[in-house]
Amino acid sequence: MSLRTLAFASACALALAASSALAETNVTILHVNEVAAAKTLWDKIAADYNAAHPGVKVQFKYLENEAFKAKLPTMLQSDERPDLFYSWGGGVMQAQDKAGLLKDITADLADVESKMSTTAVNAFKVDGKAVGVPFEMGEVAFYYNKKLFAQAGVKAEDVKSWDDFLGAVKKLKAAGITPLVVGAGEKWPMHFYYSYLVIRIGGDGALADAKANKNGGFKNATFVEAGKRLHELAALEPFQAGYLSTTHAQSAGVFGDGKAAMDLMGQWLLGMQAPNSASGKGLPADDIGILSFPVVPGGKGKPTDTLGGVNGFLVSKSAPPEAVDFLKFFSQEKYAKEAAATSAYIPVVKGAEAAITDPLQRRLADDLAASTYHQNFFDQDLGPSVGRVINDVSVAVAAGQTTPEAAAAAIQEAADQQ
Amino acid sequence: MNGLAAIAIFGALVVVAGIVLVPILATVFGGFKDLGELRVNLLGLPRHWVWSGYWDILASVRYWRVLGNSLLIALLTVALTLALSSMTAFAFAHLKFFGDKFLLNYLMLGLLFPAATAILPLFIKIRDLGLLDSYWGVVLPQVAFSLAMAVLLLRNAFKQLPAELLDAAMMDGCGYFRYFLFITLPLSGPILSTVAVISFVASWNGYLLPLVVLDSESRYPWTLGLMAFQGQYNTSWQLVLAFITLTILPAILMFLMAQRYIVAGLTAGALKG
Amino acid sequence: MSTVEQAQFEPARRMTANSWAVVVIFLPPALLLFTIFVALPMAEAGWYSFYNWNGYGRPDRFIGLKNYGYVFGNAVFARALVNNGLVIAVSLLIQLPLALAVALAVAGRVVGAVTFRMIFFLPYVLADVGAGLIWRYMFDGDYGLPATIAGDLGTPSVYLLASKDWAFAAVLVVIVWKYFGFYMMLYVAGLQGIDKSLLEAAEMDGAGPFQRFRHITLPLLGPMIRLSIFFSVVGSLQLFDIVVPLTGGGPFDTTHTMVSFLYYFGITRMRVGFGSAVGVVLFIICVTFAFGYRRAFMRND
Repeated sequence: MSLRTLAFASACALALAASSALAETNVTILHVNEVAAAKTLWDKIAADYNAAHPGVKVQFKYLENEAFKAKLPTMLQSDERPDLFYSWGGGVMQAQDKAGLLKDITADLADVESKMSTTAVNAFKVDGKAVGVPFEMGEVAFYYNKKLFAQAGVKAEDVKSWDDFLGAVKKLKAAGITPLVVGAGEKWPMHFYYSYLVIRIGGDGALADAKANKNGGFKNATFVEAGKRLHELAALEPFQAGYLSTTHAQSAGVFGDGKAAMDLMGQWLLGMQAPNSASGKGLPADDIGILSFPVVPGGKGKPTDTLGGVNGFLVSKSAPPEAVDFLKFFSQEKYAKEAAATSAYIPVVKGAEAAITDPLQRRLADDLAASTYHQNFFDQDLGPSVGRVINDVSVAVAAGQTTPEAAAAAIQEAADQQ
Repeated sequence: MNGLAAIAIFGALVVVAGIVLVPILATVFGGFKDLGELRVNLLGLPRHWVWSGYWDILASVRYWRVLGNSLLIALLTVALTLALSSMTAFAFAHLKFFGDKFLLNYLMLGLLFPAATAILPLFIKIRDLGLLDSYWGVVLPQVAFSLAMAVLLLRNAFKQLPAELLDAAMMDGCGYFRYFLFITLPLSGPILSTVAVISFVASWNGYLLPLVVLDSESRYPWTLGLMAFQGQYNTSWQLVLAFITLTILPAILMFLMAQRYIVAGLTAGALKG
Repeated sequence: MSTVEQAQFEPARRMTANSWAVVVIFLPPALLLFTIFVALPMAEAGWYSFYNWNGYGRPDRFIGLKNYGYVFGNAVFARALVNNGLVIAVSLLIQLPLALAVALAVAGRVVGAVTFRMIFFLPYVLADVGAGLIWRYMFDGDYGLPATIAGDLGTPSVYLLASKDWAFAAVLVVIVWKYFGFYMMLYVAGLQGIDKSLLEAAEMDGAGPFQRFRHITLPLLGPMIRLSIFFSVVGSLQLFDIVVPLTGGGPFDTTHTMVSFLYYFGITRMRVGFGSAVGVVLFIICVTFAFGYRRAFMRND
C-alpha cells in the first residue's frame, strides 16, 4: 500500500470515528423553574450525568411560565418537542396523555417508586400507569407575622378550629392590623381558601366524588358550605384595601412590608416576600410563623390533610431511553438532599427532607411527610377549564358577587361542558 | 400664522407631550429602582439609584444578540412588506380587471380575524414548509399579516397622485413598470415611510409568533429574551422595565430615519409644477 | 372639475398587455403569501369552532353549533361586546379628533415638530407588557396616581382597577394614550401628501386658516380620515394586547374585550373550539361593519 493510500484510509477512519462520536443522543428538558438554587443544582446534575455517560447530552431549557403554557401545545406537534417537560400534574397531564403524547414508564420506575412519597408518585399516574416522575411537593399554609400576632394578642397555638380563626381575625382587626393579604387580582390565591374549606368539610373523598358526579357532583352540600364559610370570613372584611386588583407579587410585598398579619400561600412566598417588599429586605425569617389551615366543626377533614402542588417531569412519547434513565439518575437521594439543603425545593424522595436546615421549610416538609391526604391544587387537578371557574367563583363568593349555591352550580356547568 | 396663535399651539403641545411622557418616564426611571421601591414609588425619581440594572443588561452578550435578532427580523419584514405591498397597491390603484374588487376585499379580510386563534394552524403550515426555528419562519407570516393594512394605505395614497401624471407618462411611452419605479414610489415618501414604521414596530414588539416558531435561544428576539427576567412566581419587574427601555431605542431611531423621508416628501410636493 | 375633485376621480383605463403584465407580476407574490399564512390558517381556525377540542392532538369531538350556543349564552361575552362598543365610541369621539388636532399642529413647521411627533408616537412603540405594568402601578390605590391625588386632597384613595364600574374607564384612558400617536402618524402622512401650492394659492386669494382647512385640507384628507375610521373601528373590535397585563379582564370579568375573552375563556382554558367560535362571531361582526362601511362611505376611495 502506498503512503498516500494509507494516509487516505486513516483519514477516512478518523472521520468515521469522529462522526460516530458526534452522533450523540440529545435529551432536552423544558422547565419553568426560575429559582436560582434549583437551576444551579439541575445544571450540576446534568453535567454529572453527561460526564458519566459519554455520548449523551442532557440539557435543561428554561421558558417563562406563560410562554411555556403557550408554546407547549405547538411544540409537542413538531420535531422540536422536548423529551422531558415540567408539569403540575392534574387535568393538563391527563389531556396530554389522552392525546397520546406521553410515554408509559411504569416498568422503568418499578425499582425507584418505593423511594419516593406515594402521594407524589400517584400524582403523576394516569389510569394507573406512570407517565412522569415527581421531584417536588409543596404545602399551602398560613404564613403569619409573629410581631403582629403578639401586638393583637393572638396566639398561633390556640388557632385550631375555624371559629378560633375567625376570632383571631376579629382580634387583629380590632388592633388596627390588616388580618389577611390576598392577591385576588390574579384570582388563584383566593381559591386556596375555597379549596381548603372543601377538603376540611368534605374530607378526602369530596373532590373525587364531585369529579365522578356522585352526590350531585359539584353542587353537593360540601361545596355549598365551603362557599358559605368563605363568605362568612369575607364578611368580616379581613383583606387589604383594593384586594380585588392586587397582584400576587404585590401581595407578597405587602406581607414582606409587615402590613398584613397572614397570607395563605404556597412555599414560594418565602422566596418572594423579601425582594417584593419596599425595603427589599422583607420580614426576617424568625418573625415568620406557619399556621395550618383550621379544621371546620362538623367537617370530615383532618387537620393533617394538606393542600399543595406536586411538580415533576413528564416523558414525551418520542423520548429516547436515556431520558428515562436520566430521570432515575436525577431522583437519587444525594441530589434530593442537596435540593433540601439549599432550599431549592422540598424533594419527594423519602428521607431527603432530613437535610433541610431552614426551620420553616422543615415544618412544611414534616407536614407533608405526615400528611394523611394530600390534594393537588384544585385548579391544576380539575384542568384549566373547570379550574379557572373555581378561581373565578372563589373571588366572586368572597366579594359577595354571587351566592355559594350559584358558585357551585357554575363549577358543575363548567364540568359538564368539558 | 400670527405669533400668539403659534405660542398657544406650542404650549398646548407641551402640555399634551408632558401627559404622554409621564408613564414613559416612569418606565425609564423604573429601571433604576429596586423591585420593592418600584411598587411604592412609581412616579418619583429613584430614592436610591440602582445602576446595576441597566449596566448589567448593556454589558451582557445576550442583550446585543437579541437586539441584533430583532433588528434583522424587523428589517427583513419591512423590506419585504414595502416591496410586496407597494406592488400590490399599485395594481389595485390604477388598474381595473376582472376580480379586482374581489381580491382587494379578500386581502382586507386579513384585518378582520383575531390572529391569536390562528396560531395553531399557522404553526402547522410553518412546520410543513420546513421553516421552524428560522428567521424566515417569523418574517414571512409577519409580512403576510401586515399586507392588508399596508395595501389599503398605499393604494389610497397612490390614487391621490394626479391622474394627469399617469396620462402624460403613458403618452410619452412610459410603461406602468417605469412609472411605478420612477414616479409613484419617489412621490410617495411620506406614506411609504409610515408603512415602514408601522410594520417595523409591529415586528419589533412581536411575541407570540417568535415564541412558537423559534427554538434556538441564539435566534430569540428581545421579546423572548425578556423571559430571562420573568418567572412563575417571581419576576424582576425593574429589570423588565430597564430592558424594555433599552429596546425602544432602535424603534425610535427607525422612526427618526423615516421622518427624514417625510421632510423630503414636503419639498417634492412643492416642486411639482 | 376642480383640482380637488379631480384628485379623487380616476377614469377607467383599458387593459393593455402592459397592464396585464403588471397584474401578473405584481399581484401573485403578495396573494400567495397572504393565502398560505393568513387565509388558510384562519379558515382552519374557523373550522375548529365546530369541535370540542383542548388543543392537543387533533380535533375529534364534533359538536356542531354547540360552541356558538355557549358563546351567546355567556354573560361575560355580552359584557365584552359592550366594552368593545365603548372602545369604538371613545376612539371615534376622542382619540381620532385628538390625533387630527395634534397632527395639524406638528405636520407643518413648528419648533421641534419632529421631537413632538416622536414623543406622541412613543406610547405606541412601548411594548404592551411594559405599558400594562406601568399603568397598573399608576392606577394603584396605595401608591399610584389616585393615592397621590387623594393625599393632596385629604380624601381616601380609590382602587380604580378593583372597581367593577370604573376599571374599564381606566382601560379606556390607557387605550387613548397608547394609540392616538398611531393615528397622528397617519394624518401627518396624509397632510404631507397635500400639494402645498394649493394652500399657498388659497392664502394669496385671501382665505383664512379655517377656510383653508375646511375647503382644501379636509376634503383632500378625506380618504385618509375615512380609512383611519375604518382601521380604528376594526382595531377597536380586535383589541387585546393591552387588556392582559393591565387588568387580566378583571375585576369580575368586567374589562374583557371580545379577543381577551377569547384568549382567557378559550385558549388558556384549553377550549380551543370555543375560542374559535368567538373568533368567528367577531369575524362576522367585523365583516358586516367592513362591507357596510365601505359601501356607505368609501364608494370612491
